[in-house]
Amino acid sequence: MIPPSTHKYADVIHRLEAGGSMLPDTPENLEQIIGIYKAYAVPMDFYWRDLLYIAERVFLNPLPAFKYFIPKEYMDLANSYSGDNSKLRIWRGGEKAHPELVAFMKHGETISMPKILHHLWHDRINMEFAEACMQAMFWHQDMGGRFNDYLESKEYLANADRAIKAYFKGNPLMLLLYKLFPEMFIEQVRQLSYYSNLGLFWEVMAPVFFEMSDLYNEGGIKSVPEAMDFLVNGIFAVAGRPIYHHVYIGNECIEIIPKSKGFTWLYEAALPYVEAVFYRTSPFRGTKSYNAQANQVPADQADFHYGILYADVYPVGSAGIPPTLLMQDMLHFLPAYLEATYQNHGRGDEDKLIQLGITFQRSMYNVTSAVIQALRCALLYPLNDPDPEHLLANRRFFEAQMDRFLRPEARLSDIQQQNYR
Amino acid sequence: MASILNTAAEAGCFKTLLAAVAAAGLSEALEGQGPFTVFAPVDDAFAALPAGTVQTLVDNPPQLARILKYHVLAGTYLKAQLVSQSDWPSLEGAPIPIRRSEPFEVKNATVVNADIVCDNGVVHVIDRVILPG
Repeated sequence: MIPPSTHKYADVIHRLEAGGSMLPDTPENLEQIIGIYKAYAVPMDFYWRDLLYIAERVFLNPLPAFKYFIPKEYMDLANSYSGDNSKLRIWRGGEKAHPELVAFMKHGETISMPKILHHLWHDRINMEFAEACMQAMFWHQDMGGRFNDYLESKEYLANADRAIKAYFKGNPLMLLLYKLFPEMFIEQVRQLSYYSNLGLFWEVMAPVFFEMSDLYNEGGIKSVPEAMDFLVNGIFAVAGRPIYHHVYIGNECIEIIPKSKGFTWLYEAALPYVEAVFYRTSPFRGTKSYNAQANQVPADQADFHYGILYADVYPVGSAGIPPTLLMQDMLHFLPAYLEATYQNHGRGDEDKLIQLGITFQRSMYNVTSAVIQALRCALLYPLNDPDPEHLLANRRFFEAQMDRFLRPEARLSDIQQQNYR
Repeated sequence: MASILNTAAEAGCFKTLLAAVAAAGLSEALEGQGPFTVFAPVDDAFAALPAGTVQTLVDNPPQLARILKYHVLAGTYLKAQLVSQSDWPSLEGAPIPIRRSEPFEVKNATVVNADIVCDNGVVHVIDRVILPG
């Protein structure tokens, strides 16, 4: 009904217009992305619990040495989207921390030993990755939604002030410091609000990925578009979930960002997350260096392109760099079929982290496709709309999305090839 | 003439919208003097949303109210006035674009019945739920 696109990624655009994903629909792609979703969901089950624990309980602790030591209360915290009591049950499993996570926290890669030893030996979940994602959201800020504007409002400042004074009640030194440097404390609270934001975002994604894995294992998801559609439906189903920040000081709950502000999972968490983490993030230290003076780092934050959709996984794959921390976390929870795939390609165990990182890249192109299709569905027109003008509006939207992958760092062309590993 | 809510109730095809307005605690406001311009999605529009979407919103009244407010303008605006401007500020805060006058399209929804004048405003019936963004 409308002429073919002449865009560099016309093939991908035509696939999106036919209800497909940016990732080609092949059995291996499907196996890879589902396997990695499952391996991602287990550490994510730790991330969201700890993010909420830090936002709600650790709060402004000036020496938060134990912030990664989740208490039982938060390991058992009922996920709102799994378990018998959830109002909207996405995963059929239980509501407490995933059994594989519990087992890993006990034994790690080594042996069962006290938590503190696992922590010091760094034989644990790399929570630093979750914090890097939170910081990307906190730093980029202007990514749609109203969350960030609210953090500058008088109402927020008053709520934060109340929480700070309650938290440091009976601590004259910290109260004096607060009086001297109020902005420093407020800025910390703002960052903690992003901890809560990201925790509430991932609380949804972990059960979504677990359910996709279970469905795949029993033959319920048979193609990449089906996997994408599951994500699209999930995005809509939880779009209206409240995003808030509550702090518990003793028995008192202080609502720094109340649910009544009307902030939603889609607008204030999911879309900013995708923008900040999948696309932008920030240049990280590692084997690859960036020279800002030589314009290797864009002047405009909106042009930042250091997210997984642009990552060259090989140089990125160094110790201590956020995506590598995630890759190492996922390594512990790979399903057997992905282990076998990695053994059969490349250098087997030697480059498993790289292979896994590229699988993750494929899987995130599929998640991004789901976001693009969900936005098209919410803001534009059905793919089978009979009106050519509507189809052209969809086309312009898809082409504008693909324009973001025209820069040479984008991996969209690479993931079209199965031998990119 | 009847109020906006009474008109909608009599029409019989806005059951979900009316239930949502009540759940969001907006009934009283919409019964007030206004005047308002309401873009009212029919039941089929809500039914077309993926499973769980409406339930999550109904369970969270402030979030539901935000989406519903995106369907309301302050003031009475008939089609003839609406098409004279490219977008209008909704009560939610985000603008509602007018994309076409014939057929009359508001954002990605088509107005299937325009200019239903009520006591406290005007209703335009739309075939899709519109979302900010």
